[in-house]
Amino acid sequence: MEIKGAYRIAATREQVWAALNDPEILKKCLPGCEKLEREGDNAFTATIKTKVGPVSARFSGAVTLQDLDPPNAYRIVGEGKGGVAGFAKGGARVTLRDDAGATVLQYDAEAKVGGKLAQIGSRLILGTARKLADDFFKKFSETVAPGTAAEKVALDAEGQAS
Amino acid sequence: MYEFEYQKPKTLAAAADVLKKKKDAKLMAGGMTLIPTLKLRLAKLSHVVDLAGMKDLVGIKATKAGVTIGAMTTHGAVAASAAVKKAIPALAHLADGIGDPAVRNRGTIGGSISNNDPAADYPAGLVGLGATVVTTQRKIPADKFFLGMFETALKRGEIVKAVEFPIPKRAAYMKFPNPASRYAIVGVFVAETADGVRVAVTGAGGCVFRVPEMEAALAKKFAPESVVGVSIPTDGLNEDIHASAEYRAHLVTVMAKRAVAAAIGG
Amino acid sequence: MTDMSIGRAVKRTEDLRFITGKGHYLDDFSRPHQTYAAFVRSPHAHAEIKKINKTKALKVPGVVAVLTGDELAADKIGTLICGWVIKGKDGSPHKAPPHPALATKKVRYVGDHVAVVIGETLDAAKDGAEAVEVEYRTLPAAVDTASAHKPGQPQLHAEAPNNLCYDWEIGDRAKVDAAFSGAAHAVKLQFVNNRLVPNAIEPRAALADYDTGSGEFTLYTTSQNPHVARLVLSAFIGIAPEHKLRVIAPDVGGGFGSKIFIYAEETVALWAARKIGRPVKWTAERSESFVSDAHGRDHVTTAELATDKDGKFLAMRVNTVANLGAYLSTFASAVPTYLYATLLAGQYKTPLIYCDVQGVFTNTTPVDAYRGAGRPEATYVVERLVEEMAAKLKIAPDELRRRNFVQANEFPYTTPVIHQYDCGDFQRAQREALRVADVAGFAQRKADAKKRGKLRGLGYSSYIEACGIAPSAAVGSLGGGVGLWESATIRFNPTGNVSIHVGTHSHGQSHQTTFAQVVADRLGVPFESVEIVEGDTARTPFGMGTYGSRSAAVGLSAVSKAADKIVEKGKKIAGHLLEAAPQDIEFRDGKFRVMGTDKEVGIAQVAFAAYVPHNYPKDLEPGFEETAFYDPLNFSFPAGTHVAEVEIDPETGTTEIVNYSAVDDFGTIINPMIVEGQVHGGIVQGVGQALLEGAVYDADGQLASGSYMDYTMPRADNVPSFKVETIVVPSPLNPLGVKGCGEAGAIAAPAAVMNAVHDALRAVGVDKVEMPATPHRVWSAIRNAKKKAAK
Repeated sequence: MEIKGAYRIAATREQVWAALNDPEILKKCLPGCEKLEREGDNAFTATIKTKVGPVSARFSGAVTLQDLDPPNAYRIVGEGKGGVAGFAKGGARVTLRDDAGATVLQYDAEAKVGGKLAQIGSRLILGTARKLADDFFKKFSETVAPGTAAEKVALDAEGQAS
Repeated sequence: MYEFEYQKPKTLAAAADVLKKKKDAKLMAGGMTLIPTLKLRLAKLSHVVDLAGMKDLVGIKATKAGVTIGAMTTHGAVAASAAVKKAIPALAHLADGIGDPAVRNRGTIGGSISNNDPAADYPAGLVGLGATVVTTQRKIPADKFFLGMFETALKRGEIVKAVEFPIPKRAAYMKFPNPASRYAIVGVFVAETADGVRVAVTGAGGCVFRVPEMEAALAKKFAPESVVGVSIPTDGLNEDIHASAEYRAHLVTVMAKRAVAAAIGG
Repeated sequence: MTDMSIGRAVKRTEDLRFITGKGHYLDDFSRPHQTYAAFVRSPHAHAEIKKINKTKALKVPGVVAVLTGDELAADKIGTLICGWVIKGKDGSPHKAPPHPALATKKVRYVGDHVAVVIGETLDAAKDGAEAVEVEYRTLPAAVDTASAHKPGQPQLHAEAPNNLCYDWEIGDRAKVDAAFSGAAHAVKLQFVNNRLVPNAIEPRAALADYDTGSGEFTLYTTSQNPHVARLVLSAFIGIAPEHKLRVIAPDVGGGFGSKIFIYAEETVALWAARKIGRPVKWTAERSESFVSDAHGRDHVTTAELATDKDGKFLAMRVNTVANLGAYLSTFASAVPTYLYATLLAGQYKTPLIYCDVQGVFTNTTPVDAYRGAGRPEATYVVERLVEEMAAKLKIAPDELRRRNFVQANEFPYTTPVIHQYDCGDFQRAQREALRVADVAGFAQRKADAKKRGKLRGLGYSSYIEACGIAPSAAVGSLGGGVGLWESATIRFNPTGNVSIHVGTHSHGQSHQTTFAQVVADRLGVPFESVEIVEGDTARTPFGMGTYGSRSAAVGLSAVSKAADKIVEKGKKIAGHLLEAAPQDIEFRDGKFRVMGTDKEVGIAQVAFAAYVPHNYPKDLEPGFEETAFYDPLNFSFPAGTHVAEVEIDPETGTTEIVNYSAVDDFGTIINPMIVEGQVHGGIVQGVGQALLEGAVYDADGQLASGSYMDYTMPRADNVPSFKVETIVVPSPLNPLGVKGCGEAGAIAAPAAVMNAVHDALRAVGVDKVEMPATPHRVWSAIRNAKKKAAK
């Protein structure tokens, strides 16, 4: 399952990097995030309410930031239990690159679900993960560069932002 | 199923009122998606607002200009309607292919489009025909109604009352069903309308979409061979255990070709 | 012969109550003060249970109890068992790691039972189950069948290194290898026999009651074999002594094997009922059924066939890795061994056969017998090999089969893989099938299809199965832990009507009709006067239940034997009444007659005399009731030829079955309409396996096809109207000459359909498509073949 995308953000790489590490911004941008509290240096506890059509599930778990390479790249990973719905795990490798005074953020995400959601909703997993990832990074772009509309960057055949 | 309060209001205003006031209230039309979801405990609602019994929302009206279908009209009723069969046979055919008889006897057009399942049939019919969704607040063109996976332009408390379909010169819907669920793996609605050719695809992506390249090719020549060379990119298409993105892309072309042939033939 | 005799298409007497909603299925039963059970199931395929916290769950209103595996173990409730021990190549018994009804240290598949919550209402139990906090440490999962026993895989059980349950073989490897090296031709195929979810229409359920006064347990359950359930639950699991446990299996809505087994849920329900002192009811939801009913099949096989220059079969060599799931289910071990490899001779005189099977554990739902159990897998191996060999040798596939069939005058025929076929006429069945299927007209139909852009193919399946399981001594010698005889009591009531108490169990097989036909026919009583009593250990003699197409071949043989006993006793009574010696009495059409005279007495009068013995033989016991136990002399061997004809749309990959013909030999037929229905159902399930059904696990062991959104059940519009005929070669080994018909369709159809699919696709260069041959798979295969050809 490939979940990739890129946005061009009207901000410097340092600004974007700082935002990527700011729990307040992350909380604001993570779709359905009700709680994101720091537990350690790069670890947070989180509660996220996800709605997909008629289905809604509240996931409680942890968000961690890994493989930090400031101000170029990291991996954001989340894992949560959703009660009767099962569990969800997801992560995205995020890389930043300067682009004529702005920054191109590229993400390469993956998602897994288990339990009832996996059992009955397998057709929707990819679509949902794509949408959640895109919603997050779109909102993130708009939050980091307020007043600008998110600018999606096309990916080439190799999956790289052109 | 978690407990919820069941309400069956007499007026749309009363229904809208509950939706506005109660955060976890949800409208139920036929309940074909909602009830299974509730039974699986994958949704917890405070109120279920049942539109059943609102007779004003049921019915099919055909004029020379078009066909208006009430939101609570079942798929079965649309499929069986002599008026629809005469005015827009492709729409009756579409309705006849939704789910199974039990679903067609309960499920409604209003419920289906408000839910906007990425593999539902009606979104292709509405976008393909350039229909207009009539709500309690306004009229929304189909092109602006379906926003994304399970997302529509409906605002909180806004309820679909009816769908207005213009009568096309010719049209057809071809669906490649998921063998298990009979939802569309790919469904293509092709219509030659007063405003041009429209090609709408459901099942392939996160939401119904049009294929401008096919529309342009068909505008030049409304024939099956016009779309044969047009393939859509796999980028962003759905993938699951039944079909890869590549297969879906291929099926869009095949179903479009067959829909054009059927439109001409019918 | 009356309209209700053996051989007549009597309408099913059970249908009225089923169709009008008057059947008594398990969920229709309730007991006073009943509680409800909800299971906490693992969402992980493989994990350690670090901690189970009940506190919140116990506070949920209406929750009566929360019970875990530790408590189950503390109460000395045994683990679930496997009743058939397979000995490996080195003579060692298979590895049967503990299979606790509630997991203790580890969970091993998604759906594994972690705890049970008992509630005043079902909702309270479910609320409670949601509130149980389980802390897991997830472990990597072994999911893939083929590689599960290879080094470096995640390990499920300490008792089974490399996830290997057994490495078993049959046949002489050296001789087979030698035959291959000297053979003129050989073909080699590799394929998957797909995993199936049984999907009986009525989900499994259990209602357990414990009577504190009498100390007696009553279990209502969806079982195909209530006595076996009682035996296992008492003797092995230790719930209660056998005489203190009554098992009732009322109307059951389909089983297909999945309701043979003794599962965690009924075990836990019984235990919990005693623990809380109230009845406990559990009914599976469909989502639970998908992950907790034992699945079927799941083989990865490499198979080879060698022939001489004329296509005469010389040897067959087969390796199969069989996925057993996370634990050994009740008969799981026997299915890919003795129910599979022993059928690899098929209908042919292959002199040398070798097969070895690695049974492996994976982090998936346990796999056990499912309609056909082993024999569909064997038929698929044999018939795919034969078809590919025919293509290679450019010999018509029906001709190649004829060259190798066991001939009608060669029975009894002993195969190189244990079985001795009692009788048959394979050539005649094939000849009839060719006629019914109009094979002669196929070339024209194929040409016509081509004009329409369709690829048309024809495929045969000449199958044989071993049914009527089974001679107890044979079962015992191969490691089975039970006898597989059957029982029947015929009880005449004083007013002349009859109750037949049998150990079999009907869950779709129409015993109420066919058993009554046999008794009415044999004893000359009105069909309407016969009642069949099944499914209650308190009301029926011990019997082994219904599976493996055994009810007619074994169960009715017991009924027939009991009828003989009734006639014998009746002669004594009638002789007394008619003042003649018993040996001068003959019995026909319900009347005892003094031979050569018109002095006669009806069986109803004899029954009355037996219960009101005012005028009765002095040395004879009153009463008119006889019980017989019947242990079969051999398996029975239904066989036949099925012909499938398909059309494939190369543009979409869709396969349509345009014709399907079956000619089966089931021996004597009791009710042709019911037999036809059984064949139809079997074929549809076989078509399901071939084209539609397939359980799909992702790499983490999540069941991606866990609902009807994604698991494709066959529907009426997936199949054509079948052409079904029979030939009758009665079995010489049982009193009625019957062979069994319940599984034939499911056994024959996958190979017939897939042979047709391959026949159609050969034209476009495709050499292999796996089951289920979904449109996506077929389209991909065509596209890949085109790409390959272009290179």
